[in-house]
Formats: sequence, C-alpha cells, structure tokens
Amino acid sequence: MLRMLGITKSYGAVRANRGIDLVVPPRTILGLLGENGSGKTTLMNVLFGLVSPDAGTIVFNDHPLAGHTPREALAAGIGMIHQHFMLVPAMTVTENVMLGWDAAGRWLRPAAVAERIRAASHTYGLDLEPDARVGALPLGGQQRVEIVKAILRGAELLILDEPTSSLSPPEVSGLLHVLRRLRDEGRSVIFISHKLGEVLDVCDEVVVLRDGAVAGRTRASDTDRAKLARMMVDRDVSAPVAREGGAAGAERLVVADLAANDATGVERLGGVSFSVRSGEVLAVAGVDGNGQAELVDVIAGLRRPTRGHVFVDGADVTGRGVTGRRQAGLAHVPADRHTTGLVADMTVTENLAFRDCDGPPFRRGPWLDFGAMRAAASERIARFAIRVGGPDVPARTLSGGNQQKLVLARELTRHPRVLVAAQPTRGLDPGATRFVIDEVLALRASGGAVLYVSTELEEALIVADRIAVMYRGRFAGVVRRDAVDITRLGLMMSGALTESPDAAALYGRKAP
Amino acid sequence: MTVGAPASRPRVELAAVRALAPPLLAVLLAFAVTGVLIVAAGKNPVLAYWSLAHGAFGSWDRIAVGLNRATPYALTGVGIALCFRARVINIGGEGQLALGGLAATWVALHMVPAPRPVATLFALGGGVLAGAAWAGLAAGIRLKRGVHEVLATLLLNFVGLLIVSEALQGDLGEPGAGFPQSPLLPNASWLGRLVAGTDLHVGVLIALAAVAVAHVALWRTPFGFRLRILGASAPAAAYAGISPARALVSVMLLSGGLAGLAGAIEVLGVHYRLIDGFAHGFGFNAVAIALLGGLNPLAVLPAGLFFGFLETGAVAMQRAVGVPTPLVAVIQGLTMVFVLSAMGLTAGRRRV
Ligand SMILES: Nc1ncnc2c1ncn2[C@@H]1O[C@H](COP(=O)(O)OP(=O)(O)OP(=O)(O)O)[C@@H](O)[C@H]1O
Ligand SMILES: [Mg+2]
Repeated sequence: MLRMLGITKSYGAVRANRGIDLVVPPRTILGLLGENGSGKTTLMNVLFGLVSPDAGTIVFNDHPLAGHTPREALAAGIGMIHQHFMLVPAMTVTENVMLGWDAAGRWLRPAAVAERIRAASHTYGLDLEPDARVGALPLGGQQRVEIVKAILRGAELLILDEPTSSLSPPEVSGLLHVLRRLRDEGRSVIFISHKLGEVLDVCDEVVVLRDGAVAGRTRASDTDRAKLARMMVDRDVSAPVAREGGAAGAERLVVADLAANDATGVERLGGVSFSVRSGEVLAVAGVDGNGQAELVDVIAGLRRPTRGHVFVDGADVTGRGVTGRRQAGLAHVPADRHTTGLVADMTVTENLAFRDCDGPPFRRGPWLDFGAMRAAASERIARFAIRVGGPDVPARTLSGGNQQKLVLARELTRHPRVLVAAQPTRGLDPGATRFVIDEVLALRASGGAVLYVSTELEEALIVADRIAVMYRGRFAGVVRRDAVDITRLGLMMSGALTESPDAAALYGRKAP
Repeated sequence: MTVGAPASRPRVELAAVRALAPPLLAVLLAFAVTGVLIVAAGKNPVLAYWSLAHGAFGSWDRIAVGLNRATPYALTGVGIALCFRARVINIGGEGQLALGGLAATWVALHMVPAPRPVATLFALGGGVLAGAAWAGLAAGIRLKRGVHEVLATLLLNFVGLLIVSEALQGDLGEPGAGFPQSPLLPNASWLGRLVAGTDLHVGVLIALAAVAVAHVALWRTPFGFRLRILGASAPAAAYAGISPARALVSVMLLSGGLAGLAGAIEVLGVHYRLIDGFAHGFGFNAVAIALLGGLNPLAVLPAGLFFGFLETGAVAMQRAVGVPTPLVAVIQGLTMVFVLSAMGLTAGRRRV
C-alpha cells in the first residue's frame, strides 16, 4: 500500500532520517518505535507532506508522491492525527468535520454529514454524537473526532503520532479497539508509541528506528518487550529499579482542605488533604480530568484555591506567588509542556534558565549571565542526554520527548525540596522514562518529597510509597505501597469504591 | 557538541543577513511601486528620487535636519518596540510625546534661572516624567478598569493633544502671537548643538544612548528576558512567576518616558517653543518604525533614520519636481505593508 524508500532528511548537522525504507501492506497496523529523537515524527511529516525530504521516494497505492502538500496527501488517502488536535472546541462534532472539507460541497448539509458521522461511528465503534460540542468531550472523544474526520475524508492510511500519551487506560483500550476495526475494514494504520505493551497488543508489524535509520523490523507475534527494547537501545533498561527503603522523615509538603474551581466556576477540586514527607513519593493516580491538573496548579501557585492551605516545610505558602514558592523549594513539572513548560521560540539555554533568572547564578547584579546559563545548559544537556544540535537552537526544533526532558532537567537540577510533577514521563521513551524514575527516586533518597501525578498505574507502583486515587476532585482512597491491591485501585478510579483513608495513609508515618 | 563562539559566528552573520533582507526588499519595492505612481502623475521618477536624495543628504545642513527628525522617531519607536515585545500594544506615543513637550515647556518657562545644562536637564526630566505619567495612566486604566490598553492609549492621545492646545490657548500661550504657540523658551534651556553651524542637536546622542540601553535591557537583563517570555507565551510567563501587571506598568512607564523625552527634545532642540500640533504623526509613525525594525531596538535606529530622511527629502522633492509630499506617506505606507507581509511569511522564525 505504502512504500517509502531511502527517505533522508537533515536539519543542519542533525540527520533526522538517514535512508529510511518503510513498507506498509494493506490491512496492517504498523507500529513505529524508537527512542526520543530517532526520527519518527520527521518521517511521518515527510509522508504527510509537512516536511520535504532531502532524498527518497514515496509511492502510495501505486501513485508516486513527491513535493506534495498535506492537502494532496489527504486527497491521495493519507490522514494524519496530530498530537495537538486541530479542532474548534466551541463547535459541534458535525461542524468540525465539515470545516475545511472540500468534498462537503459548496453548500453545507449538516444533516447529511451528521448521518455519515453516525454511520462511521457505528462501523468503527467510535461512539460519537454528531451534535455534541467538541469542547465538552474528553480527550479520547476529541481524538475520535479527528479519526472520523480523517475517515470521512477518505483516509485509507491513518498516521497516529503518540495518540495514547495523554489518554487514560480505558480510553487507550477504546482507541486500540477502534484501530483494529479500522484494519478489519481494510485500512492501514501507522501507530507511534513509546509503550511497548500497547504496540505488542495492537500492531501486526513493528519497525524500530534508531538514530534516524531502521534498526529492525519484525512481526509483532515474533517478538516481545525485551527484544523490542534491545532493538531500540543498545543498553539494557530492564534492570530492576533500585529503591532504598529509607524511612520517611518530617512533613515537607502539607495540603489542607484544598479546593478550587475551573474557569467557569465549577468545582474541580473538592477539599483534598494530605502530606508528603521527606524521603517519600506520593503518587496520584486516576483517570485524567478528575482534578489532578487543578491540584497541581494550585500547589504550584498557578491557580487560586477557593479554600484551603499549602505548606512547604512548615511555611504557609498559600498566599505566595510562583516565585515565592519556588524559593521555598518547590519545583513543578507542568502537564502542558508546549505552552507552559517551555517557550518554543526561545533557545534551549533560555528555556533551561527561565524559571531561575531572578538570582544567582544566572543573574549577576542587573545582568543576565549568559555564560553561566550556557554552561549550565551544556551540563544539563549532557546529563539528561537531551538530543539537540546545541544550546542555542530553539526548543521548537527538539523532538517531543526531548522537550519533556528539557523541562525535567530544569526542575530536577535545582535540587528541590518538594517536587510536584504532572505526567513527567509523558512522551518519553522507555530509557528516558527509566532515567526520570531513577532521578525521582534519587531525589527521594536525598530527602526530597515528591508528588507524582500519573495516569500510568504501572509507573505509580514503581515510584510511590503511597498511592492516592483521585475521582471527581477528591481522593477516593490512599493506599500504602505494602497494601496495594490492583483491583481495589481500579474500582477507586472508576468511582465504584471510596474509602476514607486512615491518618497513617493520608499523612505518612504518623498522624500529625 | 561544541559551543565555541568561532564555530557559531558564520551562522549568526547569516541570520543577521536573513533578518535584514525582508525590510530592505520591502523598502525597495515600496520605492518601485511609488515610482510607478509618479510616472502616472506625469512626472519623472528618476528626477523625483534624485531630488529626494539630494534634499535628504545634499548638504551637512540637510543631513542635520534629517538626523534631528529621526531622533524622536527612534526614541518613541524603541519604547514601543519594548512594549510590543511583551504584547503590550501601546499606540499612545503621540499623546505621551505631546505631554512630554508640554511639560518640558512648562519647566523651562517656570523654573528659577539656572545655567544651561541644569536648566536643560530639568526640562528634559519634566518631559520624561509627563510622558511616563501619561502612559502610566493608560496602564492604570487597563489594570483597574479592564479597558484594553489599545483603547486606553488611543483615547488618551486625543486627550493629551487637547490638553496641549488648551494650555497654549491659556497660560502657556504667547500673547498676541496669532497662533497657538508658547513664547520662546529661555536660551539656557535649549539643547546644545552637536556640530556648530548646523541644526544638529545633542538629542541625537540621547537617542543613540537610549537605543543602546534598550538593546542591552531587552537581551541582557532579567527585565528584558521577562518581557520576551511574556510576549512569547502567557502561560509560560505565569509558570515563570512573572507578574503581567507589573510588567505592563513598567514597560508602559518606560516607553511613555521615552516618548516624553522625544517630545521634550523636539521642543528644546528644534522649535525652542511649544507649537500646537508639533507632535502630529509622530506616535503612529513610531509604531510603524518599531514594526519595521522587527521590534529589535538596534534595528529601530535605521528604521527611524529611514523615516526621518524620507520626510526631510520629501519637501525638496516637492519643490523640485512638483511631486506632492503625501506621496512620501505612500512610500511609508507601502513599506509597512510589504514589511508586514514579509514578516508574516517568516513568522515563527523570528527570535523572541
Ligand atoms: N524543525 C527542526 N529543526 C531542527 N531539528 C529538528 C527539527 N525537527 C526535528 N529535528 C531533529 O530531528 C531529530 C528527530 O526528531 P523527531 O521529532 O523526528 O523525533 P521522534 O522520533 O519523533 O522523537 P520523540 O519520540 O521524542 O517524539 C531530533 O534530533 C530533532 O531535534
Ligand atoms: Mg515525535
């Protein structure tokens, strides 16, 4: 169905794609794997006509594609679903599907389009209501709107670049189900993910990229996690995580009856109390959208609480701004790296310094010390293995995972007393995920307190001393590491079970 | 990964060339299109442009006039560039400039007699304070009443110009002049000449210094860094702990002060008195200059010079060839259109 031969693309000195051959047969889900910065997104951008390759040929359904635009790619039958959805939240599903669709005709026929959406939704199990407002849909639903858009525009090959990285586990299994239906109806899918389990679960074939070249291809049935991981990286990332037992110390982060509303005045956080001690990691699990983002924002000082208090090392920081909290020792990895965690148009150096430019070492007298900033940047790039042409390139040119590493490098190297991290491993490859987990545990071992928000239960179980499950803005339960019961956690996430935790679970070792 | 300066130098120069090309091309295109208009008006464009160039650069005197003219442009433009960097849309340069001139006049006429540099400095300081206050008022309206600064600064322009007229009708006016203007200011308050025998005043040096300071402030200080972050992404600015209100107030005070300084320099260095309507056109041209300079303080300087010399040359062009001066406004307008189009094409590649 699709043949890409010898695709080559360089950005200056960075060789993002080096003679990649990719063949996608009909009725196939092809998994594209590779470390952060190995060239996956670049290859897909070439295919969809967003980037023109330096060399190489593309043949799709026996038609050559060269120098094509995304519009022509679409017309040829290739659809791409970006990680950032291109939807208008205020419009309905039908209106979004009609938007910019030539084949919808000169006159808008919403009823006819709605009918087709309903039909497609039925065929592929998309579960979409044509009259629903897109802004009111959960992320998984918005993603299905993108899928139906692509299908109705005639996409025979669908590209999904890390579609599962911001979905909750039930949404992920729903998406995988949709992908299988698409294949069974005769379409093909290119599926990019860093989660080997998903890839093995849904894909028929797997292609692994390393350093911009194909490192291996295999049938999914002939391989396993360990083999794939070895294909992606030379080193072994499967060694068990070293967790020192270290006893938790004094309370570092205390949250008392914290509540907050969203922009429209709806309560999203309904009075949460807990504490995290020195040398301890409290993971917050739960389906995305149950108040985790609000909890993190309020603790970080980005959102005002409607009631409640936040203490860092005994000091009430509720009334302080972001800077005051940072000076108190609070580090924050925000969930949204694109517009909050980073300034895409600024250089890597500036991005690694922009939360710390109010004091030494980056500020000397009235001046910014660019020498110090650049030195620190080079050091962090090396330590976090950030794949980048140099400290002076704009952050925008980094691959998704490397942008996330940038944020982590800035926040972790400050040696914070308290780290509040929202989805810190989103978009990271297994090796980098492992690195971040090791860093978080190192912070824990050196006496830091960590609040670790994750939708990945697996990851929470690795890092956490206690796991809290959030449901509708409250803790549905807090479980100590030694008493974890997966079924119980699952029930809490779905709201079927609410336990009022004892003081030991809420506040660590002992009641305050 | 080498970080050495030598390795990165050629790339920097290339980037500079790439940044310069669009405005230069835009200027050339604007001249070409206007040339067609001149032909259409039945005049000889080569002759017209020659007399324009001659009027602008034909003698030391002409050059002095052009530099004087460019001075308030560069001063006001650089302040506006800083505002725009932080996404603060200050279009109140005209009012701020007018009040700066008014305050300088008032100080010069009312202060106790003092020797030259002292009197001049006080008058200039009055201009700075008045301009800053006027811009600060707009910032206050924005913060307290939620009126967008575009509207607040625009409306305060009208108020500012009317205050100047009002003052010239009243106390500050020259009795029996027949025209709304102040009496001649005491000699001690005048700006010194830079080159004896020409009109060139030391305000040009002040503008140069201001541009240099703005450049350093934007690229080398935490303050400028904060402005750039704020302009690039509001959520990232919040995450960095930057207060948008504080940034708004400080950048407005700064740019208002620069505009007020420009007004004071016009009064103390060119007219030696306050004349009704002296600020006319400066504010909006300064916005154009800031954009033409790509919001880079250093690049605002050539942009300001371009506008200054264009306008002094225009008078000569009209006299020599009979091409009406408004055609110069056409050149300015076309340059802006072309520059903004070019910036749209290269959007996303600009350094923030
Ligand atoms: N516009 C660009 N300018 C310069 N370099 C770029 C640009 N886009 C990508 N690169 C570089 O090309 C390489 C491959 O990037 P790409 O985004 O394809 O990686 P990826 O495999 O998608 O990684 P990830 O898993 O982190 O998303 C990276 O080193 C990246 O820095
Ligand atoms: Mg990618």
